[in-house]
Amino acid sequence: MASFVPTSSDTLEDQRLYTRARLVDVACLDCLATVGVKKNSEHHTSIQWSAEARGQCPEFARRTDGRAVKYGCPRMIASVEAAVRDGRVPIGAEDGY
Amino acid sequence: MSDVATDRATKVRALDHGTPPERFARGWHCLGLKESFADGKPHGIDAFGGKLVVWQDTRGDINVLDGYCRHMGGDLTQGSVKGDEVACPFHDWRWGGDGKCKAIPYARRVPLRARTQRYPVVIRNDQVLVWHDTEGSAPDLDILPPELPGVGTDEYTDWTWAVEPIVGSHCRELIDNVVDMAHFYYVHFSFPTSFRNVFEGTVATQYMESKGRPDKTGGYGDAEMFLKSEATYFGPAYMINWLQVDYKGFETEVILINCHLPTGPDSFTLQYGITVKKPEGIDDETAQYISKKYAEMFGGGFLQDVHIWKNKVPVQNPLLCEEDGPVYQLRRWYEQFYTDQADVDPEMTNRFEFEVDTTKANEYWHEEVAENLARKAVEDEAAESVDAGSPPIMTGT
Ligand code: FES
Ligand SMILES: [Fe+2]
Repeated sequence: MASFVPTSSDTLEDQRLYTRARLVDVACLDCLATVGVKKNSEHHTSIQWSAEARGQCPEFARRTDGRAVKYGCPRMIASVEAAVRDGRVPIGAEDGY
Repeated sequence: MSDVATDRATKVRALDHGTPPERFARGWHCLGLKESFADGKPHGIDAFGGKLVVWQDTRGDINVLDGYCRHMGGDLTQGSVKGDEVACPFHDWRWGGDGKCKAIPYARRVPLRARTQRYPVVIRNDQVLVWHDTEGSAPDLDILPPELPGVGTDEYTDWTWAVEPIVGSHCRELIDNVVDMAHFYYVHFSFPTSFRNVFEGTVATQYMESKGRPDKTGGYGDAEMFLKSEATYFGPAYMINWLQVDYKGFETEVILINCHLPTGPDSFTLQYGITVKKPEGIDDETAQYISKKYAEMFGGGFLQDVHIWKNKVPVQNPLLCEEDGPVYQLRRWYEQFYTDQADVDPEMTNRFEFEVDTTKANEYWHEEVAENLARKAVEDEAAESVDAGSPPIMTGT
């Protein structure tokens, strides 16, 4: 059964642009996890995990309090920051995505 | 300019309204406070395109069935509670909380097929939650909203609860707020200074820090109010919002429940409840009063949203700028509840983190607020000089 069906094929392309375009793979420096990262600006960060990466992160495995998911994994954050410093994650948006 | 860029810059953007879903979301839905069903009468609740009948039995358990009798379609919500069953006003068939017809007083026996739709019930934080799934799955207890420690005890005020029917909007409009950083300034008159989203599994959260706008009243607090808010949807329709409110240095812990029941393809019933952790040294009556005040403030906030929803159009293809939150990812998360369990795509449930950049927005908003305040000061001065000498005629509005 379909839900919220777009009536224009352009919408599918928008969905792709906003959710998947420009994601750069960043591997954690401490575990096997690799996530997709996008930075539209200095202060913006978007991090897409996969089920596989999520399962590989020992930090998340340790967290049992449901509300603790708020914070990202500090090791992954450090890895992303390092990738940004090294210029592996470009800073800046395309046309709003 | 390249061809692609020229094309992008000149092509007129069309709004894709899309088509609304053909089903109601799978998950836990709140019907209201348990005590509101405890008077020994059947209650009618509009939900999922129909009507439910809700009653408390002699054991104190809450039961929920489809509101219409399977005999000849009588309205069970207008019947009565007899023993543990709800009795139909039309021919007195008695329906049990398990969905079975228990007795037909004028008949020799009850047809074996006399079974109606029942909704599994869990009481959580003094509220009645029902499981809804068009596929008819067993209720998933693992994804229930959490119990709130201390709530329901003397530590917290009683729930202040409100019900608001919304007609003309799909409930996804309400969900979109989770990622909508800028609307807090324009619609609710507050400054979000930090804004972050995390989606994972059946849970979606907004973390926000904000303060009130000094140039406006009637929004989420005033200039001296600082909010730290953690707002989590547990499934499609039940949000717990933990709020730390700092008002002139006075800290209050507030818990806001924001939940809704879809009633039709473009209508839903919004319900919200407030409880406040009783501040030390404050008597119960004052604490309850504070809770009521917060309920009015957030209730007013919802009405500000409602006004927008009633007048906007549905959009499948929102056009975003760099300062906007992750609308598309949130909607991808929300889609899981409208998809057969077996077809839920991992992309819908995979962990996703998004930090909104609020720096540019705050720069601009501070300037705008300063201008508004300066203009207001000039106007006030002018008004005073005109008024000088004339008798004071003032109203409070
Ligand atoms: S319709 Fe309900 S008892 Fe006949
Ligand atoms: Fe809002």
